Amino acid sequence: MKNNRFVAAVLVPVFLLMLAFLFLPLLLGLGISFFDYNPLRSANTFIGLDNYLKLARDPVFLKVLTNTLWFVFVTVALNIVFTLLLSLLVSSLPSNKLRSFFRMLFFLPCIAPMVGSTAVWGSRIFHLRTGVLNNLITSLGGKPVNFLGDAQVVMWALILFTLWVDFGYNTVLFSAGLDAIPVTFQDAAKIDGANARQRFFHITLPLLERTFVFVLIMTLISHFQMFVQFQTLANRGGPNYASTVLTLYVYNLGFINKDMGYASTIALVLFAIIMVVTLVQRRFMKTDWEY
Amino acid sequence: MMKQMRIKPRFSPAHWLAAMLLAVVAALVVTPYLLMLLSSFRTTAEMMRNPGVVLPIEWTLSGYIKVFQRAPILRWFLNSLTITGSVTLAVLFTSTITGFVFAKYRFPFKEALFMLLLATMMIPSQVTLIPSFLIVNALGLYNRLWALIVPGLVSVFGIFLARQFISEVPDSLCEAALIDGCSSPGLYFRVILPQIRPAISALAIFTFLGTWNDYLGPLIMLSEVERMTLPLALTFFNTNHHMDLGATMSAATLVMLPVIVVFLLFQKQFIKGVSITGMK
Repeated sequence: MKNNRFVAAVLVPVFLLMLAFLFLPLLLGLGISFFDYNPLRSANTFIGLDNYLKLARDPVFLKVLTNTLWFVFVTVALNIVFTLLLSLLVSSLPSNKLRSFFRMLFFLPCIAPMVGSTAVWGSRIFHLRTGVLNNLITSLGGKPVNFLGDAQVVMWALILFTLWVDFGYNTVLFSAGLDAIPVTFQDAAKIDGANARQRFFHITLPLLERTFVFVLIMTLISHFQMFVQFQTLANRGGPNYASTVLTLYVYNLGFINKDMGYASTIALVLFAIIMVVTLVQRRFMKTDWEY
Repeated sequence: MMKQMRIKPRFSPAHWLAAMLLAVVAALVVTPYLLMLLSSFRTTAEMMRNPGVVLPIEWTLSGYIKVFQRAPILRWFLNSLTITGSVTLAVLFTSTITGFVFAKYRFPFKEALFMLLLATMMIPSQVTLIPSFLIVNALGLYNRLWALIVPGLVSVFGIFLARQFISEVPDSLCEAALIDGCSSPGLYFRVILPQIRPAISALAIFTFLGTWNDYLGPLIMLSEVERMTLPLALTFFNTNHHMDLGATMSAATLVMLPVIVVFLLFQKQFIKGVSITGMK
């Protein structure tokens, strides 16, 4: 069909909005990274690559980068294993009602506002005095753990929280993938004498490959972007940057310290990481086949 | 006559074990919310005195009363509603009409424009945080609800999703409508929209919850207490009253409630939407 006037009437405003709030910010971000930029100053000096050179000499950046990679890889690995097992359990149930009941329930933390969840976890679960975890530990005769104030422990507390808050998505995605595998394959293998373990590794897992790669990549990307729990559950990324990740570092540098030039440089590092993950996905997702 | 035999699924011991393991996980999911709800009916002093006790010893509404007295919670609710309502309606419209154009019309640079669109899906909002703030500020929208509405009017993901669904509407249907004298907007409203209801409802729920729950956007765009949205206000309340555990838990319950109600009402479409789109 052709109707250029209609097409233009739709696309011009849409692309103008995208220009203003997507393309322009990206270019502007790149531009600002070459400046010593403070929004409160009237004149900001061009400093070339200084912000990029600063990266290599900034011990905090190195710590934050390590924190981010460590958090993402540990959380995503645990998340994938756990949700894969859980979705197998859900799909194995012979009752449709029970299956959707569990899926619905597991999804609850994903849709509830995360700031609400961090408020509860901070004051009623991880808290030194009023947290149930510490009540449990002390009633068993142990010493209370400062989950959110101890640099050694805080990242593990955040990993635990993140697993809890996010596992519902992947459980639903994996179980949709499992449900899409025709039963006939399983039945044929059963008749051929394959046991449950063999069926899982030789039929279910290979047929789940596409879902698996998709889920893995999406989870990696979303975990690199997480912010709320680091700012609100952990005490603004502390203690001593132990729970600061790239997103929070960008926010703190840009909006608390007003050092927007350097913050933009770090935002571009985050962008580069996410680009790499997305490009890897493009390569993997080329496999096109159907059952 | 042969009667059709239905194989009724039976619960084997293995199924019972699976259901029990899942029930344990379900309990772990619910526990924090239960703790929140129970704590919202307690006073801070009582909780401090009995740290190991989970059930309220004396039930009280004082936490809720404090929230309503000390904080403009209705204002926050209206702010959230205004932003979320406008963004959701706008995204539904812009996504479906742009998706329609890309799915059904031939025009110059179509492929190039669509590639551009796809490429922007890779840009996370965390990356454009600072420049977006500067642009919003330059437009004079800082600390106004518009700061969150205007940048949210278009969703690249929404366009992509709508195009996918509209491509599956048969071309013959559109052509028949055109022959009968239907205009392009008429085609969009009367033929296309009724055909893609599942996509629309999925997109509506995702956009609603995504916007309602957004924390980072309001955090950088709004500074005045009266202008805050519920999630931002909760953190604000929490930091100002962090000694008052009971009131904080009451506030958290009030912030959670609308979302949980929406979710329970639309849970079927929701779970289906997630498995169709894989969206977060």
